Amino acid sequence: MATRKHILLISLLMLGVFTLSACVGARMGVSWPAVGLIDLYGETHIALAYNNDVVILSPSNGAPARLTNPLNGEVMRDNENNPRTWILRGSDNDGSQFFSVPIRLDDETVLVADNNRRLLKVDSVVVDVQRSYPLADKVLTNVLLAGDTLYVPFQNGGLSAISLEDFQEKWTLPTGAGVWAQPLLVNDMLIVPSIDHFLYSVDHSTGQVRWSLDLGGAVASTPLLANGRLYVGSFDKSFFEISLDGEILNEYATQNWVWGSPAIDENGIIYLADLSGYVHALDSESGLRERWSAQVAERGIRAGPLVYGERVILASRDGKVYWLDKRDGQLINAREIDNRPELLGDMMLLQPSENLNINEPLLLVSSVDGARLLIAFGVDGRQAWVYPR
Amino acid sequence: MWDIILNPFVTILAWLYAALNQDIVLAIVVLTVIIRILTFPLFAKQQDSQKKMQQIQPQLKKLQEKYKGDKEKLSQAQMKLYRENKVNPVGGCFPMLIQFPILIGLYQAIFFALAATPFQLVDLSERLLIPGLDSLIPLQRMWTPIPQLASLLPELDLTLAPTENPPYALALPLLVLVTTWGQQKLTMSATGQNRSKKDDDDDDGGGAGGQAAAMTKSMTTIMPIMFGFFSLSFSVGLSIYFVTSNLIGVVQYSPQGKRMLERVFGRKSTDEAPVEVVFEDDEPVKKTRKTRKKKPRRK
Repeated sequence: MATRKHILLISLLMLGVFTLSACVGARMGVSWPAVGLIDLYGETHIALAYNNDVVILSPSNGAPARLTNPLNGEVMRDNENNPRTWILRGSDNDGSQFFSVPIRLDDETVLVADNNRRLLKVDSVVVDVQRSYPLADKVLTNVLLAGDTLYVPFQNGGLSAISLEDFQEKWTLPTGAGVWAQPLLVNDMLIVPSIDHFLYSVDHSTGQVRWSLDLGGAVASTPLLANGRLYVGSFDKSFFEISLDGEILNEYATQNWVWGSPAIDENGIIYLADLSGYVHALDSESGLRERWSAQVAERGIRAGPLVYGERVILASRDGKVYWLDKRDGQLINAREIDNRPELLGDMMLLQPSENLNINEPLLLVSSVDGARLLIAFGVDGRQAWVYPR
Repeated sequence: MWDIILNPFVTILAWLYAALNQDIVLAIVVLTVIIRILTFPLFAKQQDSQKKMQQIQPQLKKLQEKYKGDKEKLSQAQMKLYRENKVNPVGGCFPMLIQFPILIGLYQAIFFALAATPFQLVDLSERLLIPGLDSLIPLQRMWTPIPQLASLLPELDLTLAPTENPPYALALPLLVLVTTWGQQKLTMSATGQNRSKKDDDDDDGGGAGGQAAAMTKSMTTIMPIMFGFFSLSFSVGLSIYFVTSNLIGVVQYSPQGKRMLERVFGRKSTDEAPVEVVFEDDEPVKKTRKTRKKKPRRK
């Protein structure tokens, strides 16, 4: 009897210890939400991909887009007469996880790359997977569609160019570690950032490497193309100005890793943030000369900043969104998100348009909190709507 | 708060990775060895405490018989016995409680340092305390035990579970199971808890020492199975830590290893016979201390 008690006690103790310790990893997700725009049913919608779901939202109110019958325009309904909405669930598709937004192929088809090594061809009218194509590895960032080729970056290394005609691989680019940011197409050159510390430039049709540049640390963001130059940061606490020939023209030391893509304004001032919560304003026309640099957030800033009018907007791991005066970095406004979830996903600014069905600019901020996965703000900081999972 | 323990471990692991030719497995092994050596005094203290408890078992048993039915007297007498022998019945727990956060911190450090996803990597950015380690990120998490036989033993991803790695990785949970069992067995013999079946039959399990012995016996059976099971579902890197830690435990608890470590740390384990406390008419009247030293056992 006593032995049985001991066994139970020890088992509980061990389980407790492991739950408290090893499960630290389990509570961590893989990545953060991916947000993009997609044209469906003649209107532009917001596409959001995070963990088990891909959802298409209406920009005006953040509600999931309703599925409509293309023949009569009527809203489709389920067995219980509820309107059907555009949600692709991983649970209905062999447990797919999504960190890449869908890409529209035509009026009735979208493609989604998942974190389970598959490219899903989805009937966008009824949100049903028609076919899946195997991929070489997991995908955790947006894929790039250019012409008839899909450029798919992989979590554990490499990138594949896939033909849209037959979904066969045209060529592959091997890298030493993962490609965690969307590649950038500059003329006929594909710029591929990799966390193996290199920035690659490859011929977009053959995959032949033209140059590769060691930036001293992982490169996890899509470079910014401006003034015929590339601007990108690395985990070596550095930010670089690079010519299209692959030569480092200028370098600027930051406080911590630079993960997000920079933003540039009409005066050629580049804004970037780092994982110490610092924001830097650099003059691109005078060799990355520092205009100002200030610690804005209590924790790191993963996402790249946005520039709107006279403001620089930032989202931090401390659960706050900051509006700064872009001339001197002075704080103008800060909004704390309820529960202060980490704000890690890239932000997006929507300009008013008929296609988007909004009449004021909207700032989209994603969080890892299921209760407020996507939050829309007016540019003045007023909350417009929240999309909960 | 927990970061105070965790971040130095992550930093040291990254530093060792840099110093040891960017070999993450070697870095895990060396860090485990360093931690186990540094925590040896705590292990030794816990071991001494368990040993003392075993030594006063016969006296405790006598007291239980003598004061059967009088819990208050029994309690007083037991306290007296503990006091005279300088035994704290829960003394073995304190060093163990200190070791726990260190060991948990160590294997969490492996998890965080080997960041394999964006979420883990963004977390790592706040954990490296020494400048200059950033350029090592991400740490190489692919490893092959014998590079010359890479075609036969393909690379293991240290961040994935054995089930998600090449089939030969399943040997690791088995190795964890065997080494945990070996360490447990040696721990029992080092603390004198390898009791015969007769001893167990005689013991009604009511005494503190009897319970401790029963618990240790249960642990010898359950812990290897549990750790083996955990190793199946957690990362391969963690299995390497478990195996290394267990092997060090085997060395530490073996008579030769123990003697060597005691020499290094300049301490002696308790070989003194217990103080015999004599009680007469429910009151202790005389106590004697046997100062005879036990002869070290030779194999």
